[in-house]
Amino acid sequence: MMNVWKISIDNIKHKPLNFVLSVLFLAVGFALLLGVEELNMSFKSQFNKGLSGVDLVVGAKGSPLQLVMASLLQIDNPIGNISYQEAEKIGRNRLIEKAVPISYGDNYNGFRVVGTTDAYASLFHGEIVEGRKPIKPFEVAVGNAIAKKELLKVGDTFKSSHGVVTGGHLHDKDLVVTGVYQATETVLDRLVITPLESVWEMHHHEEKGEIHHEHKHEDKNEHIEKEITALLVVFRSPTGLLTIPRKINETTNMQAALPKYELEKLYNYTGVGVTIISYIAYLILSLSCFTLLLSLFKMISERVFDLALLRTYGAKTSELLKMVFYEGIILITIAITLGTLISQIIVLLVTMILKDDYLQGLSFDMPYLQFFKIVFLLLGVLFIAVLVSIIPLSKIKISKVLNHEL
Amino acid sequence: MIQTLDITFGYDSKDEVFKFPNINLKAKEHLLIVGKSGIGKTTLLHLLAGLLPIKTGSICINSTRIEDLSQKKLDAFRGEHIGLVFQRNHALKSLTVAKNLQARLFFSRKPINYKRINEVLTTLDLLDYKDKSIQTLSTGQLQRLGIAMAIIHNPKLILADEPTSSLDDENCENVMNLLLKEAQRHQANLVVITHDKRIVSKFSKVLML
Repeated sequence: MMNVWKISIDNIKHKPLNFVLSVLFLAVGFALLLGVEELNMSFKSQFNKGLSGVDLVVGAKGSPLQLVMASLLQIDNPIGNISYQEAEKIGRNRLIEKAVPISYGDNYNGFRVVGTTDAYASLFHGEIVEGRKPIKPFEVAVGNAIAKKELLKVGDTFKSSHGVVTGGHLHDKDLVVTGVYQATETVLDRLVITPLESVWEMHHHEEKGEIHHEHKHEDKNEHIEKEITALLVVFRSPTGLLTIPRKINETTNMQAALPKYELEKLYNYTGVGVTIISYIAYLILSLSCFTLLLSLFKMISERVFDLALLRTYGAKTSELLKMVFYEGIILITIAITLGTLISQIIVLLVTMILKDDYLQGLSFDMPYLQFFKIVFLLLGVLFIAVLVSIIPLSKIKISKVLNHEL
Repeated sequence: MIQTLDITFGYDSKDEVFKFPNINLKAKEHLLIVGKSGIGKTTLLHLLAGLLPIKTGSICINSTRIEDLSQKKLDAFRGEHIGLVFQRNHALKSLTVAKNLQARLFFSRKPINYKRINEVLTTLDLLDYKDKSIQTLSTGQLQRLGIAMAIIHNPKLILADEPTSSLDDENCENVMNLLLKEAQRHQANLVVITHDKRIVSKFSKVLML
């Protein structure tokens, strides 16, 4: 059945090159804006997910950003150690709901071995899907990504090596896998979790070995103070946030870093790049909108003869406007679909690259707000084009056009 | 049935006013309007079709005074009751032959009757070109398509502007016979304007401008 839609589609098919170019131009602008926003949003959400409700990180003095990145997101080197006894004192403050000690400095094939308590996995809602939690020293539960990558299962043993990257010397003691965590799409996926005692005993044992080797049984009652790398703190109430960090920074030889604040600073640094790319994308999109306006106008001026002819057939001005609108809406719909597809392919490629490097499940959510903002912008442009088209369409001098006088 | 009374026309930008003789055509009657170039033949045809507004006077087609109609109603009236054949034949380039006829019916608010489309195309020897693009048609085929476009919606008035001026004798004869036959078949009035003397003999009523 013939209708205005069909005529619009045939009009598009009749001059495909103009149409394809307009679609491509619009789709690239759309894809760039959407892709950048999606990546930006996903990284922020990934980082925020990594914070897992931790309000404060207490560690050795140094860069607070490094402390947060290293202790919470496990993507930087540790600054140094702090006294476990001192950290425990902080943890006993009544304003603190949860204080989770972590101690790390070893790795298994590049995956960090973190000595901690049960409370650590619960920060990431990490449940054991296979086996049980590690209880005794040298028992470990591995993150889901590690279990998959290293094909580890309950009962397997391995040796960790010193340092947070591969290449350090291997420790003597074997670590036994007692459990595997479910995938959480957080840092837990790429960590080996073990009781704090494992880390202490591993290092105590080796330091003792070295002392024995060097001093030949010189002192059998040596005492090594228990140390941890950081204390992750969750406050009971916001009051804690106002008093505790200041107190730690001013009265101890430790530092208290606020993860949200530090990450916000990081976003501000990296945000410049994102903003520039977004501006470029907006520029492309603006040019695309201008092209869209021009192509709709061009459509009217090129087809003024056809439009005059349609008027002689009895077509109303509103039907001719519909034709302009439909062609615009087809163009925009295809451009949006193509743009979304391109942006998702880009995001997929980035995910694949990052997954190989980062080995942590990444979740990418469509930035619906940005999506609808652009869609409304394009619809606005189309609406303007249709509104502006009313004037030339209603002023077509059919007689003159058909006589080739125009 | 067409009646015009003391119609005049003038372009806004010019002082010149065209005055046209009265026309009175009963049902099924045909009229040939002849005159020299520039005398206002096409203007008269466009006035009858409501494509140009009259300055004074009245045009009545099938008991409807077209000067009283709003632009919207005039467009609808033209689409439904009038068929136009142009000197240079026009069709929508983006549509095929059959789709052009469907579009003509659609905008005339007439049901799209595929059987009728096939009949008209068969009569005008265009059935083989039904699904062909307009660009593939020859001048003669385009001329015939122009006639098909003018009659597909069963108009009560067919207005033809110099339909034979660019045709040789044989094609001139064919096109005129077709137009007369189709007008008769649809019981429509046929008004042809021309300066082509070859077709004068085919009309019983001739108006000299």
